[in-house]
Amino acid sequence: MAAELTFSKEIANLMYATHGNPIKDCFQCGTCSASCPAVEFMDHTPRELIGMINADLKEEVLASNTYWSCASCYNCTVRCPAKIDIADLMYSLKRYSIWRGQYPEDLIGPAFSESFVKMIVRTGRSFEPVLAPSYIFKYGTRGLIQEAQTATALVLKGRLPLLPTKIKRLENFQRMMKRIIPLGES
Amino acid sequence: MKQYAYYPGCSLESLSMGYHLSAIEAARGLGVELKEIEDWNCCGATAYFHVDELLAYTLVARNLAMAEKEGLDFVAPCSGCYKNAYFTNNYLRQDPELAEHINFALEADNLHINGTTNVRHLIEVFVDDIGFEEIKKNVSRPLKGLLVAPYYGCQLLRPRKDGEDVENPQFFEELMSAIGAEPVNFASKNRCCGGSLIITNRKAALDMVHVILHDAEKNGANVIATICPLCNVNLELYQHQVNREYGTEFSMPILYFTQLIGLALGITPGRLGIGKELVSAAPMLSYAQNVESR
Amino acid sequence: MSEKVGVYICHCGSNIAKTVRVEEVSKWAGEQDQVAVARDYKFMCSSLGQELIEDDIKEKGLTRVVVASCSPHMHEKTFRAACVKGGLNPFLFEMANIREHDSWTTDDTEAATQKAKALVMAAIDRVIHHSPLEPIPVDINSNTLVVGGGIAGISAALELADAGYHVYLVEREPSIGGHMAQLDKTFPTLDCSACILTPKMVDVGQHPNITLLTWSEVEKVDGYLGNFTVNVRKKARYVDERYCTGCGICIEKCPFKVVDNVFEAGLGVRKVIYRPFPQAVPKYPVIDVENCVYFKRGKCKACQIFCPTEPNSIDFEQQDEILQIQVGNIILATGFDLFDVSQIPQYGYGRLANVFTSLEFERMVNASGPTEGKVVLRDMQTPPKSVAIVHCVGSRDKNYHEYCSNVCCMYSLKFAHLIHERLPETEVFNCYIDIRTPSKGYEEFYHRLMDEGTHFIRGKVADVTDAARTTEEEGKLIVQVEDTLINKQRRIPVDMVILSPAIEARQDSREVSQQFRMGCDFDGFFTERHPKLDPVATMTEGILIAGACQGPKDVPASVTQGAAAAARVGGLISRGTVMMEPIRASIDADACSGCRICNELCPYNAIIFHEDKKVSEVITALCQGCGTCVAACPSAAITGAHFTNDQVMSEIEGILWDVRKPELVPG
Repeated sequence: MAAELTFSKEIANLMYATHGNPIKDCFQCGTCSASCPAVEFMDHTPRELIGMINADLKEEVLASNTYWSCASCYNCTVRCPAKIDIADLMYSLKRYSIWRGQYPEDLIGPAFSESFVKMIVRTGRSFEPVLAPSYIFKYGTRGLIQEAQTATALVLKGRLPLLPTKIKRLENFQRMMKRIIPLGES
Repeated sequence: MKQYAYYPGCSLESLSMGYHLSAIEAARGLGVELKEIEDWNCCGATAYFHVDELLAYTLVARNLAMAEKEGLDFVAPCSGCYKNAYFTNNYLRQDPELAEHINFALEADNLHINGTTNVRHLIEVFVDDIGFEEIKKNVSRPLKGLLVAPYYGCQLLRPRKDGEDVENPQFFEELMSAIGAEPVNFASKNRCCGGSLIITNRKAALDMVHVILHDAEKNGANVIATICPLCNVNLELYQHQVNREYGTEFSMPILYFTQLIGLALGITPGRLGIGKELVSAAPMLSYAQNVESR
Repeated sequence: MSEKVGVYICHCGSNIAKTVRVEEVSKWAGEQDQVAVARDYKFMCSSLGQELIEDDIKEKGLTRVVVASCSPHMHEKTFRAACVKGGLNPFLFEMANIREHDSWTTDDTEAATQKAKALVMAAIDRVIHHSPLEPIPVDINSNTLVVGGGIAGISAALELADAGYHVYLVEREPSIGGHMAQLDKTFPTLDCSACILTPKMVDVGQHPNITLLTWSEVEKVDGYLGNFTVNVRKKARYVDERYCTGCGICIEKCPFKVVDNVFEAGLGVRKVIYRPFPQAVPKYPVIDVENCVYFKRGKCKACQIFCPTEPNSIDFEQQDEILQIQVGNIILATGFDLFDVSQIPQYGYGRLANVFTSLEFERMVNASGPTEGKVVLRDMQTPPKSVAIVHCVGSRDKNYHEYCSNVCCMYSLKFAHLIHERLPETEVFNCYIDIRTPSKGYEEFYHRLMDEGTHFIRGKVADVTDAARTTEEEGKLIVQVEDTLINKQRRIPVDMVILSPAIEARQDSREVSQQFRMGCDFDGFFTERHPKLDPVATMTEGILIAGACQGPKDVPASVTQGAAAAARVGGLISRGTVMMEPIRASIDADACSGCRICNELCPYNAIIFHEDKKVSEVITALCQGCGTCVAACPSAAITGAHFTNDQVMSEIEGILWDVRKPELVPG
């Protein structure tokens, strides 16, 4: 591709082709922000973030905690009058920020997601205790204690496994993944 | 016996063992066999989609391909797994280039996907395939006196698949009526529980859980029925944290819909995995007549 | 017999000349058989260009003319007129489109020039086979049918009637007035709707030139411009209009009430024998057969018992009447319906008592409405202390209707004003995406509302709920919206919510458009002939449209369209005769074998079969020249004027001019 892409075009390309309308269709009605259950915890409302993307404010967008606070509940997507898949936009921004390594420092999401992915590559299944280090220390002392208490209770009730399971055809599985992206050593 | 390719998902292995047990028991009690897919892998939940889309679809496709091999419909009890599988299946059907790319990867495990299986959520099996009439016929211990708040959550309903009602569906309420319980209408029935935000943005998730608990309790529910292990975990395991954060005193039992169906079919609570909750279900069980509590 | 063809190649400035080598084409044309003169010129459509044609016809005795320029849609009429001025029949003319079909499709000058030559050759070869044709005169019946008695229909009817022409006004409801009769005040002047409407309604009712047919519907439409035969079903009122004085005692004495879902929008009740509103025109009441105890069980008859006229005006035996009328033109002014807001469950209509639609609120604030103009909650007693007005419910939304409904911003502002007027202490919140106030006095009206202290929140409402989260929210309706101007999600507790739903086409608009043989768009609104330049005509001659049935619009625009349609019709009537294009089919009776294949194929029902002679005949005036019968006839007995076999085949031969000579065909 000859010309350099603007930020808004880059993001548009990241959204999977078959669904939703492009974000340049947004006429800033605010339905998404009004429908969002997590908006109180975002520094920019979803509508505002879309406005910022369309204005190519790349640094501000990536520095926002909005898209990492998205629970992907799709309430915005089903109501958007311009039929933009906003939840998918949030996914795209997450992927972009991990690719660029650019996101607010104090966030748990990026490290957690990367650990999650590595764990799947290693075993084919998810195993909670392995993920704990990626977030547990960010909760502060009280949070850490609370989490430990919950974990203990679960272990006593037999609901928390102490050992990870691996899928049987793990080698095939890993070769399968390498055919999509050459992963190198996890 | 009608068979389905059953995909439990990572959460059902131990954390939500109750869902797994009750699903199989309740289904069997109504003439349906949930045949677990052999050597299934994690669907990627939401975290995988935060990192790489194509890889995430591939993870899902491996499981779909195995269901196709059995020639059975793919059934997921977890809304997250269900949503991933449903839409991956759709994209593979619509986009031959994507299918080609993914099939190339699947070959490494001697698998191939054609898009011939159908993806169902476990609750659809009860509501659409088995049907309310059949369920009513088999209920031996109707849960009279039980006020159930049916919590749909989000990813069962959204994104829209076929123009269905995502704002005020009634099928979960009707299912609860069919087993003799009284469904309680509450506004947050399809409001997000926070999902994985419980890890990555705990404050937000606790707020979302708080709203749901508050609504259900206000409308008189004595139990919340869930259809997804993440919703269940968020509503149940973190209730005490919500209480601490907001100064509330919730002790709302959270049970899976299959556990309730199982009780109504006369299956003992132990076989349905009831008894391992952090928020005890015992008080709720005594509301329902004819059911011994543990 | 050899013809003398004049060929004119237009440059069209640089539109054609930039890509087609026009001088070369012109010179080449001049060398062709039967071409007497060939010219190229900068702008053929200019007066000078036209004069070239006129002069050449006169001086060189041209018998045929070809102009190679733009699309016939643009200037066929112009050049035909030039031929006539020069003394040549206008149908001895053919146009070659070397612009839209050639120079505007490519940058390749070689290819474009070659194609231009082919198109010109085709035109020359064709035009040689043209015959002179005369337009067909059609008489225009001076009666007009106006369907729909709302403000657009009333305007159209009065314009025509005042001009001296007779009008049939057919209205489906028991009274004319339409939706405007339901309103209280109209924006931006805040005129009382009934006060400005009823004088017009009375005019209609009393006008000697208007035959008013209310409680009636059009059943069948046959015919063509100037000559329509329409069957109208006059439904039984069970009230004899010859004797009824409109005293209203029957209505008073009727013991049964039902919810009035039409005029009162479900907010109020009416009797089973009723007039929709006090100022109804005509004054005759109507019996609602479905709810009348006499018709259901044979009891009551209170209306008849108390009716004071002699003979009695109540006639339970009355039957529907079918009237057949002859009209020259039809104006459709059938109005609109409101979007059903229960399709958006998150707004709570139907589930939450104090959520109202705009039409319900109109009836509420109306002085003769169910609350006598008092703004109250659904309990019909308590005035609200706070009201939220939700704009764009179902409009500007790809999930429902993508279009903007034109009037809702203005009436939402009007509602805010009326609430301020009647309940000065009440807080009013207008939740909008944009405030659209395009016409005269509208923006000023918006400023007035700002002055009156309305809270404007720029954000589309996502939810209306009663699930309170705080003590302030208890017992209220909470409107959840993002205040986009301050980037915050807000939950606003109010007592009452008014929804402004989208304006939709009538539910049966598709059936109606088929009945009148004209088109409607995907949203169900009737299709105008040209959205900019001809908004009241349709593609069907003789059928016009006016008002909201063409698209959402306010009262002034509806009145304007009604008047425009009337002017068009008036013009046709005053001409008395209209000339129609002679491009029609005709059947050679001697060659017709009477197989009748053409009869069923004709999309315009323009072919009749003579039982006695066993031959088919085309009704020229109904024929639209589509050519279906021409192609279908197995005996080749049908000729399509101006599209004969010779003409069409020659045109094809002409296109292939450079390959048809044997020496150029390989092998």
